Amino acid sequence: MEAFRRIQTGKKGDIHMVAFKDSKILDDAVLDAIRQEITTLIGKASGPDVLLDFANVEFMSSAMLGLLGQLHRKISGGHGRLKMCGIRPEIMQVFKLTSLDKLFSIHKDAPAALATFT
Amino acid sequence: MLDQTAAAAPSGAGIDVVIAEDSRIQAKMLERRLVEAGHRVRWGENGAKALALVRERRPDIVVSDIEMPEMTGYEFCKAVKGDPALRTIPFILLSTLSDPIDIIRGLDAGADNYVTKPYEPDFLLGRMRSLLATPLADVQDAAATLEVSLAGQTFRVQAGRQQVLNLLVSTFENAVAKNQELVVANQELSVARDSLEKSNHELVGLNAEISRRNAQMVRDLEAAAKVQRSLLPAADAELPAAQVAWRYVPCADLAGDFLNVFPLDAEHAGLFVVDVSGHGVPSSLMAVTVGRFLVPKVSESSLLVRQAADGGVSIVAPADVATQLNRLFQADEFSGLYFTMLYGVLHLPTGRLDYVSGGHPALVRVPAAGGDVEHHGAEGFPIAFVPDVGYEQKTLQLAPGDRIYLYSDGVPEAMDAERQPFGEDRMNDCLRASRGRPLDESVAALLTAVEEWCKPAGPLDDVTILGLEWRP
Repeated sequence: MEAFRRIQTGKKGDIHMVAFKDSKILDDAVLDAIRQEITTLIGKASGPDVLLDFANVEFMSSAMLGLLGQLHRKISGGHGRLKMCGIRPEIMQVFKLTSLDKLFSIHKDAPAALATFT
Repeated sequence: MLDQTAAAAPSGAGIDVVIAEDSRIQAKMLERRLVEAGHRVRWGENGAKALALVRERRPDIVVSDIEMPEMTGYEFCKAVKGDPALRTIPFILLSTLSDPIDIIRGLDAGADNYVTKPYEPDFLLGRMRSLLATPLADVQDAAATLEVSLAGQTFRVQAGRQQVLNLLVSTFENAVAKNQELVVANQELSVARDSLEKSNHELVGLNAEISRRNAQMVRDLEAAAKVQRSLLPAADAELPAAQVAWRYVPCADLAGDFLNVFPLDAEHAGLFVVDVSGHGVPSSLMAVTVGRFLVPKVSESSLLVRQAADGGVSIVAPADVATQLNRLFQADEFSGLYFTMLYGVLHLPTGRLDYVSGGHPALVRVPAAGGDVEHHGAEGFPIAFVPDVGYEQKTLQLAPGDRIYLYSDGVPEAMDAERQPFGEDRMNDCLRASRGRPLDESVAALLTAVEEWCKPAGPLDDVTILGLEWRP
């Protein structure tokens, strides 16, 4: 198992669980590292199921949404499923503002999200 | 009179040496070197201890440091040379020779030889050999009182001629040895200096190259910023039946935000705010590229107007503009860049505003008739985010004197020092409070409120505000 600096990873069945370690995802360097680490994690999997846990994240930049868009296209393009959980109200506001709450599958917490993968 | 003991002393291997040295490490290093050369060594950590060793059994030679606790090297030397039974033992002082007076002190103490510290062990061994090869006469009788002047002081020194000669020679030898070391060091320095000069020369070249590239980059950035400014409304932008005012404060040289407002034909005006994700060169490049499609003149690239069959101009519906932009800006898999946009077309005679939002914050209306400010949003994903989606178009009917404000998320999301966002409520309050003042002042007041909120750091995002008041 590779050790990642920006994300904490786990597996529940075939589902990759990814929790962001940072409370602020604002810096381009942090964002690039996250992109790299997730790519490494799911790079070779075809159609992976991925759950992103935002419980630690207090602030994130608009560029982070771009990364989520990339992941969404990549994962759903491979017939995998991308789900998110643990999003704070302030960040949920950003999703609503951009209508992206309609695009992404967003759940309250990890157990609730995992239950929807079946 | 020759001292038989000294004369009989061996000059090669197997001599008996007493060392006086308070540094254990230095003593052990010297001892090891002497033992390797086949000599016997006894060590005293100060003059007193070494003197006891000398008295206990007469050595062939004594090597003594000067600075030591209890009994210094000078005192130790004086004690040996003052003892008729020990006087002919050759005595070498290890001196730093930092001061010419050291020589006088050595003479006065009766030392036979100096070796300056730091020394090469082989040099010291050579000294010992030569001293033992020419045994000392018992100088007791030959000793004379010399007067030596040094640094304005007169010293009276008791020393034999041979002793003076030895000391003189050893001092001279030391000077020669030190001089040779200096010559070598000087050569090394000279080599190092040449290499430094070469490196320095290279550095100067590199520095010039960096300056050149930096100047080039600054020029490029300025050129890019200039191209970006061309995306903004002309200074004298005027519309019939409407007033406009705007503020645009990029947080860096190059921004991801831009806005514009312009007549599309005699009866329609177009207005938009675009916010490309991220900052810096990649975002601004995308902004400039997007900007080329959002121009009011009929051209190859314009998405806003088309040549109509009758030779006139047909205006493209805002929802179609968004859909086409989304098709053109296929999601960039490498950068993940995307943009949000609010684009509206205002029919100037009737005040009908058709608009579309690609993930952009809702527009704000401040009704002329009074009442609370209203937010009007349309659903739609950011552009270049989801391939091949359509966009919803909405319509807002303005009343005469109504104001609308378009803005980037840099306004509501501006954070203060505690990372609290400025928020929609404060924005609403601000626009409500300024409704009685001229449009330009209301836009300026909102910008000022955002900037005040972000003190002392200032906004971390581009801040863009576009206000329009319909006056048919």
